[in-house]
Amino acid sequence: MRGQKGGQWGVLTLFLGIVVTVAVSTAAAPSPKRGGILNAMHREDPPSLSIHEEATISTNWPMMPCYNNLVLFNPLFGQETVSTIVGELAEKWTWQDGGKALAFTLRQGVKWHDGRPFTSRDVKYTFDMVRGVPELASHLRLNPRKGWYANIQSIDAPDPFTVIFRLTQPQPSLLLMLASGYSPIYPAHIDAAELRSRCVGTGPFRLKEYRRGELIEMERNPDYFIRDRPYLDGIRFIIIRERGTRIAALQAGQLDVTMPQEGSKTAAEQLKRAVPSLVVVEAAHNVNDNILVNFKQPPFTDARVRRAVSMAIDRQGFVQAVRQGGAVVGASMQPRPWGNWGLPNDQLAQLPGFGDPTRQRAEARQLLAEAGFGPGKSIRVTVSTRAIALFVDLATYVIDQLKQVGIEGTLEQVDSAQWYAKLTRGDYALAGNLTGIGVDDPDANFYENYVCGSPRNYSQYCNPEIDRMIAQQSQTLDPVQRRRLVYEIQKRLEIDGARPILGWSVDSYVMWPYVKNLVPHESIYSYARFQEVWLNR
Amino acid sequence: MWPFVARRLTLAALTLVGMSLVIFVLLRLAPGSIVDLIFQSAGYVDPAAKQRIAHELQIDRPVAIQYLLWVRDLAHGDLGISYRYGLPAWQIIRGRIPTTVELATLAMLVAVLIGVPTGILSATHQDTAVDYGLRVFSLAGLSMPAFWLGMVILLFLVREFHWIPSMTYISPYVDLRAHLVQFSFPALAVGYRSAALISRMTRSSMLEVLREDYVRTARAKGLPRRIVVNRHALRNALLPVVTVIGTEFAFLIGGLVVTETVFNLPGVARYLVEAITWRDYPIVQNLVMFIAIVVVCSNLAVDLLYARLDPRVRYE
Amino acid sequence: MRALLRAAPRRLHPAGRLVRRYPLGTAGAAIILVAVIAAAGADVLATHDPTRIDAAHTFLAPSAGHWLGTDYLGRDIYSRLMHGARVSLAVGITCSLLGGLVGGGLGLASGYAGGAVAFVIQPVLDIMQGFPLLVLALVMTAALSPSLATTIIAISVPFVPRVARVVRAAVLSIRETSYVEAATALGMSRLRIAVRHIFPNTISPLIVMTTAQLGSAILVEASLSFLGLGVPEPYPSWGRMLSVSAAEFAQKAPWLVIFPGVAISLVVFASNLLGDALRDFLDPRLRI
Repeated sequence: MRGQKGGQWGVLTLFLGIVVTVAVSTAAAPSPKRGGILNAMHREDPPSLSIHEEATISTNWPMMPCYNNLVLFNPLFGQETVSTIVGELAEKWTWQDGGKALAFTLRQGVKWHDGRPFTSRDVKYTFDMVRGVPELASHLRLNPRKGWYANIQSIDAPDPFTVIFRLTQPQPSLLLMLASGYSPIYPAHIDAAELRSRCVGTGPFRLKEYRRGELIEMERNPDYFIRDRPYLDGIRFIIIRERGTRIAALQAGQLDVTMPQEGSKTAAEQLKRAVPSLVVVEAAHNVNDNILVNFKQPPFTDARVRRAVSMAIDRQGFVQAVRQGGAVVGASMQPRPWGNWGLPNDQLAQLPGFGDPTRQRAEARQLLAEAGFGPGKSIRVTVSTRAIALFVDLATYVIDQLKQVGIEGTLEQVDSAQWYAKLTRGDYALAGNLTGIGVDDPDANFYENYVCGSPRNYSQYCNPEIDRMIAQQSQTLDPVQRRRLVYEIQKRLEIDGARPILGWSVDSYVMWPYVKNLVPHESIYSYARFQEVWLNR
Repeated sequence: MWPFVARRLTLAALTLVGMSLVIFVLLRLAPGSIVDLIFQSAGYVDPAAKQRIAHELQIDRPVAIQYLLWVRDLAHGDLGISYRYGLPAWQIIRGRIPTTVELATLAMLVAVLIGVPTGILSATHQDTAVDYGLRVFSLAGLSMPAFWLGMVILLFLVREFHWIPSMTYISPYVDLRAHLVQFSFPALAVGYRSAALISRMTRSSMLEVLREDYVRTARAKGLPRRIVVNRHALRNALLPVVTVIGTEFAFLIGGLVVTETVFNLPGVARYLVEAITWRDYPIVQNLVMFIAIVVVCSNLAVDLLYARLDPRVRYE
Repeated sequence: MRALLRAAPRRLHPAGRLVRRYPLGTAGAAIILVAVIAAAGADVLATHDPTRIDAAHTFLAPSAGHWLGTDYLGRDIYSRLMHGARVSLAVGITCSLLGGLVGGGLGLASGYAGGAVAFVIQPVLDIMQGFPLLVLALVMTAALSPSLATTIIAISVPFVPRVARVVRAAVLSIRETSYVEAATALGMSRLRIAVRHIFPNTISPLIVMTTAQLGSAILVEASLSFLGLGVPEPYPSWGRMLSVSAAEFAQKAPWLVIFPGVAISLVVFASNLLGDALRDFLDPRLRI
């Protein structure tokens, strides 16, 4: 019964996907033109070219064009929900076995860039590697998203064009995680280590040249499985380290599009004033600014002190000052209208740090007094952050806010080389931090950042009851019921001060008007396929 | 002369060994390693995986052994493998050296062409409007942060002309004109500062020389002022200037780092800084040694030049 | 030193004549004086808390309430400039003095004593010299973690060989002059010759170098800030004020960029003017 429902859901999704694609391609005014090279902004050398081994947009942005997923969030829609998922290497997919199995029918005749045929073996290999099956020949040096696939029991490939993911528990979010830009299919015939410095995919573009520190150049894949795609002849990701220079290059027309996460509101305003024809698209990017409170470090072992810290920081002020208005307030899931799970405003308003600043501060001072602190016995604390301008601004703001309730903070700037090592060791008291989330889905976020013992749960927050609620929402098939649970979890997380969220930044994505079909999504990690992008020049 | 040269060469060799030790130790004092940075993008640290990677990169071995291995490889002309890119360090460095050398040379050319004449003019017209004007001009060059000057040039160009020099490297063999255009702005930004320094040095040492006995004698003999200046004074006045040019080459690197960054030139100076933040030791060590060799050689050249230009310097 | 002290009474001019004789130098001295006053009296002179963030008043243009406007976090720029003078001058003065003293001493010793002394000092200087200033500063900040002290050490160390080399060059060219030979012939001790004849002649390059470095140190600190190192917050150094906002806000709120830029350039400019004037004033041979 359930299985059938899941199946209909998948087919419906596919159908919707097709309808939407057709609608968009016919509705878009001029018909797409072939040819041209897109010059795209890039900020640094990717740490490596292997998407599965990294967790940064610096890798996804230039490498996504080289690969394909089984399924992908429709590039032409900003929202990423289960209904905007379209097939790539999978032609169709169905939920079976009461939501405990997800079966894919694969596209035939697809070739890797080196000419070898693509089969179900590659799919099984990829996800067995990511979920860390020990007996594989090839392994990932780093595996940041292993947790996404913890619920997979086995992956079956009964024939070259069928793959079945079998789960321990039902998990509707699996499909969303598979649709993320973080989930490309790797070739089974090539050692994963090699993919750190080259690229063999099935995607619309092939890696032509990588001049380190300078340029990543992609060229059109003439054998791409969709006959008239991609439209572009190539993409040049021009690496420019200096922020001011990047903005100048965009303004001078040497770059056609900005890089996700690099468009600040102020920069976009300036650009728009200088070149009025530039197109600015506001889109959230599923990255939040937060403050980590070390649960194991006195005086933050005291719940009242933690709560006072969260209360003392005015969230609206944060958005105005540190992000210059280029952010929105929210709890642990990306707020609306950008995200799908954001806590409604009326519920948000009751959380610590969201009310009237003066009242909140008074309340914070009272909490501190109850915990035994006040004039004469004030808390002195080191606020650590990365030695990067944005992080420093964030921490500076926090210190200033804490000062107003009598907590004396001193800033400690930490070199990037030591930052996560320090957080993982729990060697800090308060820390200013940014958290990026791969998919706008509670599973992707909660399992990574909030459950007991997760390596990225830096504040060492551990609440078995929350863990149970997280597991429960993950298995809940009914969307309404799941949403209610997710709201409840978000509220509890903020009240517990697990990782007080200061704001969700909004990207002001800038591009020249002749760039068509490049649609920024609500998450930065999934829209860089460039298959549909064309130039109206 | 030859014993002097031999002694200077011995000194130079000693210096290089000393530098290799200093940079090696200093780098290892810095907390954090490439392995931490590899994990940085993943946002977590897995101790077991960390150990495995450290072992693969051989950075878990004792520092003394690492040093000896490095020196041994260096002696064989092997620069090792970049931790960050997994490619031979030489392959990564090779393409970047010409860019920086060219930029430095152009900048120095700008500096000497502006600095020496303005310095002489300033000295021969001491305390006149010309002197003040030129000094203010050259001092302005010394007073602006290099990145700021570069940024101002860039912002001015984009504002006024909606154009900036190419953000990707243009090879001189492909398009010589575009190549020169691309390099001229950063060379100007770097060279202005050095020009100011050279101008000051020329002026002050020229003023000293002009008061020397032999110059006064020459003037008293009735030689025209211009001949005295060009024949007698200039030659000796340029001695300290040569020193400054020699040392400025090493100093230039600082200006090159920020200028290459601002103008996005794929040079070795900017890359060195990146490699430091990445703790990519094979790159940093070898690049620093490369710069050291250039500096030591240029110092040597300055010393030898001194000996030739100024007969009063004894070869001791 | 003695030559200097002995000469001092004769050199005292009425202020008016000093200004007329060295107009640029006086201007330089005046600017430095203003900066020193700002640094010393920052607590009194500042109108706001330099670290107070005010979300409601970001990017304010200069006005009666905020004389030089506010920055992107709503902090008062005038107050930050006053407090920033402390950091910038502390870095500038400490670094140039350290570099000048140590470098001058080593240069003198290496140039005059020659032989074994030079053989020991020279490689050390060459080693220090071989490292590009910014690289050494970067590696040291990485090794010692960013702080005011680290910045000062990192900037001073590379200055030493620069000063030493120029001083040594001056010594070398003076050592062979006729009056030193005459003094040697008259049986003066080497130390006495060094103090009486060699040292006064090195003052000119030493002062040029030291004052130039006062400016350089401030500039290097700015460059370090640009590369994300340098003196960390909460100290508002001019370099950081400039480098953080330079590109991003130059068009939207130019006052964020202009005032720290002017402050840095003026003080560096002034220190160079002062150096030039001091040299003209002190150089013994200019009086012969």
